[in-house]
Amino acid sequence: MVNLFKRMRKLKTILDIRTGLGAAIFPNPTSATKEFPPVTRLHLTYARKIYNGHQGARHFWRNCLPRLKYHNPAVRMTVQQTEDQSLTPSLTIYFAERLSSTAPAIIGSKKISDKHAPAPESSEKIAVVDLKDLTYKEIWSRVQAATGAEEVRTSAEDEAERKRLDAITAKAGKDRERIQAIRQAKKDQERMLAEARGEVEKMKEL
Amino acid sequence: MSSYGTVLPAAARAILSSCRPVYRQTSIGSALSGFQQVRGAKSNPQARGKGKKESKSDKKGPREFRQKSLKDVEQFALCDAMQYLRAVEVGREPTTSKYEVHIRLRTRRDGPVIRNMIRFPHAVQTESRICVICPPGSKHAKDALAAGAVLVGEDEVFEAVKAGKIEFDRCLAHPDSLPALNKAALGRVLGPRGLMPSAKTGTVVEDVASRVEMLRGGTVYRERDAVIRLPIGQLAFSPEQLRDNLRTTIEQIKKDASGLTDRVNKQVYEVVLSSTNGPGFSLNGEFKTDNSPETSALTGL
Repeated sequence: MVNLFKRMRKLKTILDIRTGLGAAIFPNPTSATKEFPPVTRLHLTYARKIYNGHQGARHFWRNCLPRLKYHNPAVRMTVQQTEDQSLTPSLTIYFAERLSSTAPAIIGSKKISDKHAPAPESSEKIAVVDLKDLTYKEIWSRVQAATGAEEVRTSAEDEAERKRLDAITAKAGKDRERIQAIRQAKKDQERMLAEARGEVEKMKEL
Repeated sequence: MSSYGTVLPAAARAILSSCRPVYRQTSIGSALSGFQQVRGAKSNPQARGKGKKESKSDKKGPREFRQKSLKDVEQFALCDAMQYLRAVEVGREPTTSKYEVHIRLRTRRDGPVIRNMIRFPHAVQTESRICVICPPGSKHAKDALAAGAVLVGEDEVFEAVKAGKIEFDRCLAHPDSLPALNKAALGRVLGPRGLMPSAKTGTVVEDVASRVEMLRGGTVYRERDAVIRLPIGQLAFSPEQLRDNLRTTIEQIKKDASGLTDRVNKQVYEVVLSSTNGPGFSLNGEFKTDNSPETSALTGL
């Protein structure tokens, strides 16, 4: 089994799941307002490669979706990666009963549909957001605006931990350079010695 | 050397320090030499390396696997660990992502290892394909087919395997076909995949049919370097289902450990829940904490 310290160090990455862009809570049945109905599901579709504006969608899955899932465990989230680059990358948001008041503005006039998204149940209304050529930050701001998701405040402990981890990362960079210099110096010296020895041998032969 | 001094000060320092004993022997006075000799011997990498090697060959190393104290380790309740793992696995292929459990044991480095098969209350694999090597047309072959084996036979199986077509996850053999199996020399192909039937692993059995039935819902596990790793559940499992599986596993492993010879003492030391793409969460034995989400929220995909 992996060394305990390595494991514990790796486990610190769960901080990235708790905090960061996308750490927000969707309106649920208890906290829903008239303006923002509860979100029941999300579905993301994008193509495997980045051209034709699929990059942001994948980054959104990598960066934001785990945080959303952590803070909204009951919201089902599915991702479909396709081979079809010509497809429009899209995010389908499933609202219970009705769309949020801001959703139509976010969707825009151009209506698209996603054939990979699961069909909405009779009580669900869907909003399909076009993600083409958007960065994941832009995608997140749209999702947040459309759903009225409330950002989770980072706790003081988490902030302190983040600072500590950043300091460790910075120090690791410095240490890496330092050790690299030492190793290089040792190699250089060995090479010089070997060359010098070679010359002595040559002198002897003469 | 001066060029190094300007480009890499740290490098230059290192070179100078390692060259120092040479300078001293020739140029510096004898008053300091005793002190320098000591330093020289210490900083001489060759001398140091030699000493270390000798001491290493004397020692055999610890008799037991070293297991650190878990006092300061962050441990999680099952539901909390599941919440993180489900977040990590979001958007992954639901059929490939699984919960895994790693059970660390306090045990000696030598001696017998735990090796068994388990049937979970909630099946992890949907279906495992089983191949049975037995004389075709015999009663065993018919029974095995009835029990759900996908591939039954002797020569046809050998041919397929030799051609590189291994379309099964498990392989059983009947003792009657063992000579034929050994003659076919499939060990090189099946061995590395862990599919070669042998009496030791319990895959050469008289009653093939019942074994097939058991294998279809069962998972094989074994202890490697004091850890037993096995898949424990699908990602869609509810916390209760996962708890049942976990409980069954640990109970059986404890039973296995006590079933070994008397002098061997094995204890479960740490239980780590992980997933296909996730980090390992050390479990503290609790089911949920006050902050955990509802168990229904941690179910399904």
